[in-house]
Amino acid sequence: MKSLLKLSLISMLAFSTTVLAAGGGAYLPNDKLPTYSGHKLTTSMQNGMQVYMNNCMGCHALGFQRYNRAAKDLEIPENLMVENLMFTGEKIGDLMVNNMPAASAEKWFGTAPPDLSLIARARKPQWLYNYLRAFYQDQSRPYGVNNSVFKDVGMPHALESMQGIQDKTEKVKGLENDIDYANGDIVTARDKLSNGGNASELNKMIADAETLIHDKQEEINALAAEGKYFTLVKEGSMTPQEFDSAMIDLVNFLEYVGEPIKRERKSLGIYVMMFILFFIFVAYLLKKEYWKDIH
Amino acid sequence: MGIMTQFMQWIDDRFPATKVWNEHLAQYYAPKNFNFWYFFGSLALLVLVNQILTGIWLTMNYTPTGEGAYASVEYIMRDVEWGWLLRYMHGVGASAFFVVVYLHMFRALLYGSFRKPRELVWIFGMIIFVLLMAEGFMGYLLPWGNMSYWGAQVIINLFSAVPVVGEDLAVWIRGDFIISGATLNRFFALHVVALPMAILLMVFLHIVALHKVGSNNPDGIDIKKLKDENGIPLDGIPFHPYYTVKDIVGVGVFLLIFCGIIFFSPEMGGYFFEPPNFTPADPLKTPEHIAPVWYFTPYYSILKAVPNQGLGVIAMAASLVVLFFLPWLDRSPVLSIRYKSPIFKVALALFVVCFFILGYLGMLAPNDMRTLVAQICTIYYFAFFLLMPWWSQWGTTKPVPERVTH
Repeated sequence: MKSLLKLSLISMLAFSTTVLAAGGGAYLPNDKLPTYSGHKLTTSMQNGMQVYMNNCMGCHALGFQRYNRAAKDLEIPENLMVENLMFTGEKIGDLMVNNMPAASAEKWFGTAPPDLSLIARARKPQWLYNYLRAFYQDQSRPYGVNNSVFKDVGMPHALESMQGIQDKTEKVKGLENDIDYANGDIVTARDKLSNGGNASELNKMIADAETLIHDKQEEINALAAEGKYFTLVKEGSMTPQEFDSAMIDLVNFLEYVGEPIKRERKSLGIYVMMFILFFIFVAYLLKKEYWKDIH
Repeated sequence: MGIMTQFMQWIDDRFPATKVWNEHLAQYYAPKNFNFWYFFGSLALLVLVNQILTGIWLTMNYTPTGEGAYASVEYIMRDVEWGWLLRYMHGVGASAFFVVVYLHMFRALLYGSFRKPRELVWIFGMIIFVLLMAEGFMGYLLPWGNMSYWGAQVIINLFSAVPVVGEDLAVWIRGDFIISGATLNRFFALHVVALPMAILLMVFLHIVALHKVGSNNPDGIDIKKLKDENGIPLDGIPFHPYYTVKDIVGVGVFLLIFCGIIFFSPEMGGYFFEPPNFTPADPLKTPEHIAPVWYFTPYYSILKAVPNQGLGVIAMAASLVVLFFLPWLDRSPVLSIRYKSPIFKVALALFVVCFFILGYLGMLAPNDMRTLVAQICTIYYFAFFLLMPWWSQWGTTKPVPERVTH
């Protein structure tokens, strides 16, 4: 009986860890988003809001967020908020909407810029952090940029003046080229195979190409982990470090907007836990007292 | 005679208050050897009350229309005082409901609690389980997120696999040719009015049937065989106060876990609240991968394991129907796993493993290997039940003691 319980617990654990591992999609670069807390987090979110209002709000509304709620939660005095972060005469209790005409926007970008109130919950914060830093030049795209985290995204590089323009490093380009060729080889080999080519030879070709792709991909991953995936080809107003830090702030702000109650929820949770532990203690004593006479 | 006694006398002359209290609590004799597995019945009741209460308060601010639903949920999360807590209690409560109900059902498998004379207790319980699945499915559409939308789309499309009337049936359920505001409205009505009433009625019958035949116990012994001179079972103790105080401890431990999730990780890594559901329903944008919430995935896996969609739907339905017949499938001479042959222990352990694998695979996009594994697990799932009349008689059982072990 005990062993059965153990078995089911173990299988439950194994089950949950594998699913969680499977949840993380593959994209490059995939740098870790540092976690801030306390006062540092508050300042970061304030700064993030500033970046947002100056660069993002024109296209992306935060339609479920109210200005005064952000003022209260981010500890920004309301008069400062009105003077510095609200540009088009809204009232402090208003929702953070904009005047982007959806139909025209769809014409301009292929798809209307989505409302970002819940983007940090729909995508993970770390994904956002990498996405914002993954624009690179690509003349085949309408706005001359592509994104390695969100391939062929319709959005232009809105933060170009801050970041500058980056490109994939020569090494990464070379490796990606090799992978493209290997993929081409596989397609050709499969084609020949279905037309009755030499099976053992062609299967070996496919296997070799697959090994090559795997190895090259590993090399690219290693380069990305060292921060050698992109290189700056045109400088912006910020250094790469400053830009990364601004993006951390922006993501922290978006994470806040995704769930404004999050910080309060967690700090409240500690008191709830303490109360329940005390409750269990009292309930246990009560149970023990009643059950004394049961043998 | 004190004023309270007089008052109770006045009530009892008109309504069987004391009689009901005694029959179901103060003089309902339950075996004294209940263990860990016996907490989940009262916990299921607790979660039911939680769902009904938080549900009522959510309804006060929720808008059941295609245009307003998604925004009203975010309004509850942000602008309604404690709305976020109500929503998390309800959403996490839905998953908690299935956790406690699955464990409650597993207890029945362990100790043979569905066997004669408790067949109706089991069948009423199974009806509750099926109603609960419908309740969960319809509730999941209400936030009107993109996963709500496409999950409902996929599941309702299954009905179109029914021969001849399939397409019409699917349209009849949706009230439209695609999932739309009309579907949302009727799901809302069913979710907050019809199904909760049906569930409450079945829970009432489940408990009445249980109290008629008495509770089973981890030894699978009938405690009513040995009674003292007052007709009280020797191994029985009054449910109140003994099990009420014990269950309160269980409630405490449950709340510790439940509130731990609500306050520190309500999304549960995407299992309880799935990330794609934080984008509004969009009939033109399919999520990358559509999977039902975790509590449906074992059955969804069975559905996908069958190559033909129509047969898959039948297999999925059969995987639930077969459970109703459990009382007549188990032919072992003893009830409890404690005295059953090792064959039963191995078979049950394998069943648990298969059920988890099916649940896991149901969350993932299928490939050849996964489908094969799901097929093997599906075959085992059905073999476990359908061949039970034979294999449950194999092997030697241990002698069952006269009195419960405590």
